[in-house]
Amino acid sequence: MSTYTDVTKGGGQSRRSDAAEARIALAKRFAGCMFLAFVLALMIGTQEGTQDDFGYAFRKSVFAPRIGIFALIGVAVFLAVTFWPRIVPYLSRAGVRPLAAGALTVVVSFTLLNWTDSTDLNNGKFGGLRPAAAQTGGIDPVARLFFGSAFSLTPWLLLLIVVALVAAAIRFEDSSTLGYVGGGLAIVFGIWAQYAQSAVRSFLDYPDHSTGAGVALLGFVTIGVSGIVVARSHGKADSGGFFQRVYDWRPGMPLVALGAVVGLVGLFSAAWFSPTDRNAGIGLTSTMFHGTGLSGFSAAYLAWLAYVLFFATLILAGAASYLRHHLLGWVAAGLGVVSLLVTLYVMHDFSGLAAQSKFDGATGAWDNLGTGGWMLCGALTVLAGAGYLVARHEQVEVPDAAPGVSSDAALAAGSKLGPALLVVIIASALFFPPTATQFWQTVLVTEIGIYVLLAIGLNVVVGWAGLLDLGFIAFYAIGSYTTAYLTGRLPVKPPSFLELTPLAAIPFAIVICLVAGVLLGAPTLRLRGDYLAIVTLGFGEIIRVVANNSTPVTNGSRGAFNIPPPEIHIGPLDIKWGDNVLGYWYLLLVFVVIVVLLFNRLEHSRLGRAWAAIREDEVAAQATGINTVRVKLLAFAIGASTSGVAGVYFASQIGSFTPENFILNNSILVVAYVVFGGMGSLPGAMAGAAVLTWLPEFLRDQVPAEDRQMWIGAVILLMMIFRPAGLIPARRRRAELGGLDKKDSSETTAVPAGEGM
Amino acid sequence: MRSRSVVSMAAVAVVGALTLTGCGSSSSGGGGLKADSGSGGGSKTYTIAFEGPLSGDNAQLGINEVNGVELAIEQANADKSLGFKLKLLKADDVGDPAKAPAAAATVIQDTNVMGVVGPSFSGATQAVGGKYGDAGIAIVNPSASNGELQDQGFKTWHRVIPNDYAEGPAAADWLAKSVKKVIVVSDKSAYGDGVAGAVSKELKAKGVTVIEQAADATATKDYGPIAQTVKSSGAEALFYAGYDAQGAQFAKALKAVDYTGVRMSGNGVKSDVFTKGAGDAGNGWYFSCGCADATTSSTAKDFAAAYKAKFNTDPSTYSPEAYDAANIVIQAIKTAKGKGSVTRSSVNDAVSAIDYKGITGDIKFGSNGDLPEGSGVVNLYQDENGTIKSLGDITKAAAAK
Amino acid sequence: MHEFLNYVVLGLTRGSMYALIALGYTLVYGVLQLINFAHSEVFMSGAFGSYLVVNAVTHDGAHPAWYGVIGILVLGLGSGAAVGAAVAYGLERVAYRPLRRRGAPKLAFLISAIGASFFLSQLAGKLFNRLNNNDFPTYFNVNHHVVAVAGVTVSLVQAIIIVSALVMMLFLDTMVNRTKLGSSIRAVAEDAPTAALMGIDIDKTIARTFIIGGALAGAAGFLFGTAYFFSNTMGFIPGVKAFAAAVLGGIGNIRGAMLGGMLLGLIEVLLPTFPWWHATGLIGIQWTDVVAFLILVLILVLRPTGLLGEKLGRAA
Repeated sequence: MSTYTDVTKGGGQSRRSDAAEARIALAKRFAGCMFLAFVLALMIGTQEGTQDDFGYAFRKSVFAPRIGIFALIGVAVFLAVTFWPRIVPYLSRAGVRPLAAGALTVVVSFTLLNWTDSTDLNNGKFGGLRPAAAQTGGIDPVARLFFGSAFSLTPWLLLLIVVALVAAAIRFEDSSTLGYVGGGLAIVFGIWAQYAQSAVRSFLDYPDHSTGAGVALLGFVTIGVSGIVVARSHGKADSGGFFQRVYDWRPGMPLVALGAVVGLVGLFSAAWFSPTDRNAGIGLTSTMFHGTGLSGFSAAYLAWLAYVLFFATLILAGAASYLRHHLLGWVAAGLGVVSLLVTLYVMHDFSGLAAQSKFDGATGAWDNLGTGGWMLCGALTVLAGAGYLVARHEQVEVPDAAPGVSSDAALAAGSKLGPALLVVIIASALFFPPTATQFWQTVLVTEIGIYVLLAIGLNVVVGWAGLLDLGFIAFYAIGSYTTAYLTGRLPVKPPSFLELTPLAAIPFAIVICLVAGVLLGAPTLRLRGDYLAIVTLGFGEIIRVVANNSTPVTNGSRGAFNIPPPEIHIGPLDIKWGDNVLGYWYLLLVFVVIVVLLFNRLEHSRLGRAWAAIREDEVAAQATGINTVRVKLLAFAIGASTSGVAGVYFASQIGSFTPENFILNNSILVVAYVVFGGMGSLPGAMAGAAVLTWLPEFLRDQVPAEDRQMWIGAVILLMMIFRPAGLIPARRRRAELGGLDKKDSSETTAVPAGEGM
Repeated sequence: MRSRSVVSMAAVAVVGALTLTGCGSSSSGGGGLKADSGSGGGSKTYTIAFEGPLSGDNAQLGINEVNGVELAIEQANADKSLGFKLKLLKADDVGDPAKAPAAAATVIQDTNVMGVVGPSFSGATQAVGGKYGDAGIAIVNPSASNGELQDQGFKTWHRVIPNDYAEGPAAADWLAKSVKKVIVVSDKSAYGDGVAGAVSKELKAKGVTVIEQAADATATKDYGPIAQTVKSSGAEALFYAGYDAQGAQFAKALKAVDYTGVRMSGNGVKSDVFTKGAGDAGNGWYFSCGCADATTSSTAKDFAAAYKAKFNTDPSTYSPEAYDAANIVIQAIKTAKGKGSVTRSSVNDAVSAIDYKGITGDIKFGSNGDLPEGSGVVNLYQDENGTIKSLGDITKAAAAK
Repeated sequence: MHEFLNYVVLGLTRGSMYALIALGYTLVYGVLQLINFAHSEVFMSGAFGSYLVVNAVTHDGAHPAWYGVIGILVLGLGSGAAVGAAVAYGLERVAYRPLRRRGAPKLAFLISAIGASFFLSQLAGKLFNRLNNNDFPTYFNVNHHVVAVAGVTVSLVQAIIIVSALVMMLFLDTMVNRTKLGSSIRAVAEDAPTAALMGIDIDKTIARTFIIGGALAGAAGFLFGTAYFFSNTMGFIPGVKAFAAAVLGGIGNIRGAMLGGMLLGLIEVLLPTFPWWHATGLIGIQWTDVVAFLILVLILVLRPTGLLGEKLGRAA
């Protein structure tokens, strides 16, 4: 509400009483909520009409009893918004947010996620699995009970019970018993879900990567934690700081706990070797390879060494974290790394042997591995990271307080979750992809990874230098065409001395993109804001249309075919990427890490500060002696060359592309990714690209394929409405926007705060 | 601070979820019971996949095709004597080579998939043909017409349409009988460029003057200028290489400028979408098509009627081809079942050996997976007051007036 | 010569459409200094909305008398404008106002508009259809030649587009310059805080600006549908071009948008079809976008704030 409206409403114009005003506001809100419900009804409605009958989908969506459900949703939203002020005080209570997050996670796992990989059962979703599991004989009765009897209500009932218990514990502040009971039950239910699913899975005997039960377990455990937090806090402490306090109390402990859980599951419950129709745990693997000529060391590893190494690392890391002992920390880190390398060696050893002897249809080294080995690798990485953190941890004077006791000093010391989070991210980046399904691996290397790289590049231009570039994909195109040219896959052949492998094309792509960036930038960078946007947009279109039309040079609309996969031959290093998708992931990871490290330095360099200066106020920046044109050109060129590298990778990984890969829409999407993630923040841009490229693939199974873009549009819109600074805002912007939850700012300006654009 | 902790929590939750995914693989060592999955039981269900654009700018073509596949599967499932059930797996690749690998991965990792209809576009096919080949899934392609695809060494490649190099020259030879100057307009799609190139080359070889023009189908909304150019060029004939919806726009614009020359196009335009969209502006257009005459064969008529009844819209470009492709896979599964085992490789063998009488013609695959050269007759069609009439074999048809 | 004039007519037709859409961009830019990226979907909604109304009144094959045609035209333009205005208002309330309240950074507006654009275009696809060749009922002979002198022809539909666009632009120009609403829009564009102090309700003025721009785009949607076709993705390319036209004329400047739109239409049609290109065979219509954007870049490099400069206020 602008100050102006406040003025008039206070003044003569409004003769209406305050009560009438309130009623009108209420009516408006109600209308808004019903409108929302109506739009939602259309969005989840019937698919399209036809040429002859435009009203078909509309009638089906609106004139049917189902509209009642949406009306109810509208009313619920209205009530929630109206009574929000009364709910707010409860929200700050300890345990509320984890409870909500946990309950939501469980609901999601029931409705959306796969509970089995079998596509026969309604895409393997819980809703399909439940009746089947409930009716089929021969499954463990405990598991069957979970999936429910005739009415299939059990899982929902379980959720309701624990939520009610924990909520009651929150409501009646003194009741720690309720909290413990609810929390304990939640954890039991979570394990039950996991057990029930694994019973059904072993019954179906289907190779499996399903996520449902795991997510349900996570949700239930979160509820459990919330119950325990409630019980411990007696209605006083803020749950947001709970993890923080645990972390400050014993840095490294959360990591050790995580490593322990993952490692134990990996060692005792997951498969280590799983060719087509076999899921062998580590014990069985050891027996299987007995007497097959497996080297003594590997055999020993599978038989006992794995356990010894894991537990030794776990105990050392745990002790180091608990005692905050630097030397022990180093030892734990070292042992963790050594065990990790040993584990990788052994995995390579036995999978290679299996392929050599065509064991159970095994296909090659590194193939046919179950999730167990990779999980153990992840756990070891996390433990080593914990040890390293302890070793490097400075003895901050934090009172040796137990969790639950409020320690403002610890909170004031700032968030130290960062390094721990980094360790977890590194571990999952390295060892999660091998455990994913082939589909997700492909998505990771063909879409998510590439767009993350592009977003990092564009973040320099848009986020740091504040130049709106709507033609960014052009440089990506230039990188791709450079690769196609240098590998001899265009109608125009390169001179023979220039014919290269794709990776060797990278320097050329960088140089050409730098030059293109400068050529585009030099005449246009004196344009400001939206003028620059349209010029860059035009540039992007020009590049695409020229590529599409110059058939003798670029092969026109048919694009380039058969670009060879990347390979490296330097000294002893001899790698050739082929059909294995995972190999590309690690290549991409190398690119991303290099770029992130470089750009992280850049952000805090002299140049980075100059960018910030021109972004905020170009004139002032010029006045302080910054050569704005040069600095802007550098931003353009650096962003462009990153994009070029992405282009090289794209061309050689997919092996073929057409000019349609470089349409305007893609440029716009990259800008959306950067802003969605958090403009000017490196982790933000990466997260934005990852989330928004992941989402359409995730939605594949959830909504009709044709509607995916609609849902993505809605997600982007909602994100900007409720969190305009993005997913992970840059520090500076977070400070600027201050309280994001703050309601109406009292600004009168229509024009939003300038970004130097 | 508050928002920060929420983010951290979210991050932890996500990472946790990802990690827990790993719990998936059990250690049950292959000792579990084989169950018939509890869902109905009885006959076995096989899946036929379709890969093509179902969203994005090219979605219409993919929807045309997937409808054809869906119809074929529905009709097969209605047939009680089949002995198995069929399911459709839709893999949306947005027509984009970059998104094709992920779409193909959804197909490949579903072990019930016995054959794939698609990918719709040549670029996407190029990106994933090898992957399907390695997985042993038979590709029966209804629309990727690039003339180089059959030589890429895809192990399971089959294509039910003649490629660009087969259809275009026949049309050019026919045009060259009566005209000396032709304007060839491409829609700048890979298909359009391929056909336009083949037509132009053949026309030039026959000593006809060729003017090459293009109107990018994705960017052109207003066909007025290109129509005016056609008229001003003084060409006696026009060949449009593109798809039906834009063809109809173009036809209307040509009528608006009173272009009176011979107007011709290929398989991409020959559809009810064109005749309906263009109305009387489409009257007199010729089409060359390597497909059977839809007005005389009763199966084709039945197909059109069933399609209209199910989807409430007329079959469009490549719907019949996709229908045929799906039926080929179905018949191959039948054959494989008759011989004993239904596996990806046995189905692929059956597809390679198939002799199928479809609505677009008799289909047998050559050793490279394409229709053998010269096997299909290219027919000439004409739009007469909104219905497409066959004028018979194009090599014997009378020259254009 | 007559060929050239025919191309000019084609260019003016296209230009009129660009100008009508560009006005929406420029009006919103004037008051908010933001590119309303979802404006192209307002244009699309206008086409669908007017189709539903027109199709309910008339049916294919009906050729009513001349007064009937005029009635349908007015109805179509009116319903297109009404739907366009409604969608534009909705956009302002949903995608812009909440962000203004939060003081969001400028790019957040751009992205929320892009999100809204995806959403609207796909929702229309889901609700109606995703074909790209929907036609309006043929309620009059679009190809009837109004003018046919020495080979120069102007068809009925071209005449309707050019005339109604000119009328609407004249109307808008008068309104912005002469009426109270117009002056409040100009005041907000000039200096929003001061305007607020003078007693102008900024929120209302912004909403009205969106409504006016939306009505023009919606009407353009009807004209476009009548002349060519309509589909759920029809908005994107004309939207981008109209945005370019607005920038060409000087974004924020109403007369600039009109000039820019007309000029861009003429450039797009005339340059790639110039007779001498045919001789070389190098340049054809497929180069339209390259030529148009190159000219745009050239003009902007020479005149960095467009042909007529930026200020909405300066249009007066």
